[in-house]
Amino acid sequence: MKQLKVAIVLLVVGGLLTTAAFFMAFYTAEVQRFGTITVTEQLDTAYPLQSVSADGFQYGRPWFSQKIFYFHVPVAEASFLVFGVAAFFAIRFLITKRREYDTKSRMAMETSLIFVVLTMITGMLWTRASWGIWWEWEPRLTTYFIMTLLMIAYFVLRNSIEDEERRATYGAVFAIIAFIDAPISFFITRLIPSSHPIVFQSGMASSNLVPFIVAQVGMLMVGYAIYTMRMGEEILYERVEAVKEALED
Amino acid sequence: MDPTNTELYKLVLHDAPYVIAGYGVLWAALVVYVGMVLRRIMRLEKEVLILGESVERRNAE
Repeated sequence: MKQLKVAIVLLVVGGLLTTAAFFMAFYTAEVQRFGTITVTEQLDTAYPLQSVSADGFQYGRPWFSQKIFYFHVPVAEASFLVFGVAAFFAIRFLITKRREYDTKSRMAMETSLIFVVLTMITGMLWTRASWGIWWEWEPRLTTYFIMTLLMIAYFVLRNSIEDEERRATYGAVFAIIAFIDAPISFFITRLIPSSHPIVFQSGMASSNLVPFIVAQVGMLMVGYAIYTMRMGEEILYERVEAVKEALED
Repeated sequence: MDPTNTELYKLVLHDAPYVIAGYGVLWAALVVYVGMVLRRIMRLEKEVLILGESVERRNAE
């Protein structure tokens, strides 16, 4: 299958790019700082001294957990994008009523759900390391959590309907309505006060931007590869079922 | 070890488990999922071959 070969090539290239981004994140990216630390002796290091007081020498606190950013944000942005693809195919299904668009929408939704779950896990690990808590009901986290629940609800809804056409129609309508939450979740940190960092608001050093872009491109390739592989699997499954039915007749 | 360096390392080491877990979970989940899909595809391809042979045999009869 040509599609499967393309998917495997994309998976390998995406894997190589994200691995390269991983090494860049730890070897070449500038260490970000978050708050300050005070030490009694001046360090013999290139690490910039911020101020000197009676308590000692103040340095920027090295923000090691920020390294999660290089994978957490690309996965999150890929989840939004693939969710958009699912909504797009859902609209096309409602217009044309062609079954292939329903399958494409479902596969995109499944791929997006994987990315959403990974975003939640990496995000919670970052929150625990940076804020000292696992979860906070702040705007970005809350709206993203709602998005996760909507995606799970999409599959629950599909599984609860037996009639194929009704299942596809209800699923498409639900996917379109659920997608409304994606732009809300993406822009909410820019619209109302939120403790979640806003990416790109204050610019980014090129040493940080390059690994981020490489990881983003790699993650999108991995996402497209997963989607194509699942589509290939679905086509094969339908073929097997069709042949089985033909043999039974 | 120099006490100030110890202080700095402690700060990094506090975050390290979360960073390692973040990357580890992400890679492991993707690898396991892709592996599962590939296995299912291979099984289905075998099934298509076997069924194709059955159809051919039936047509020949």
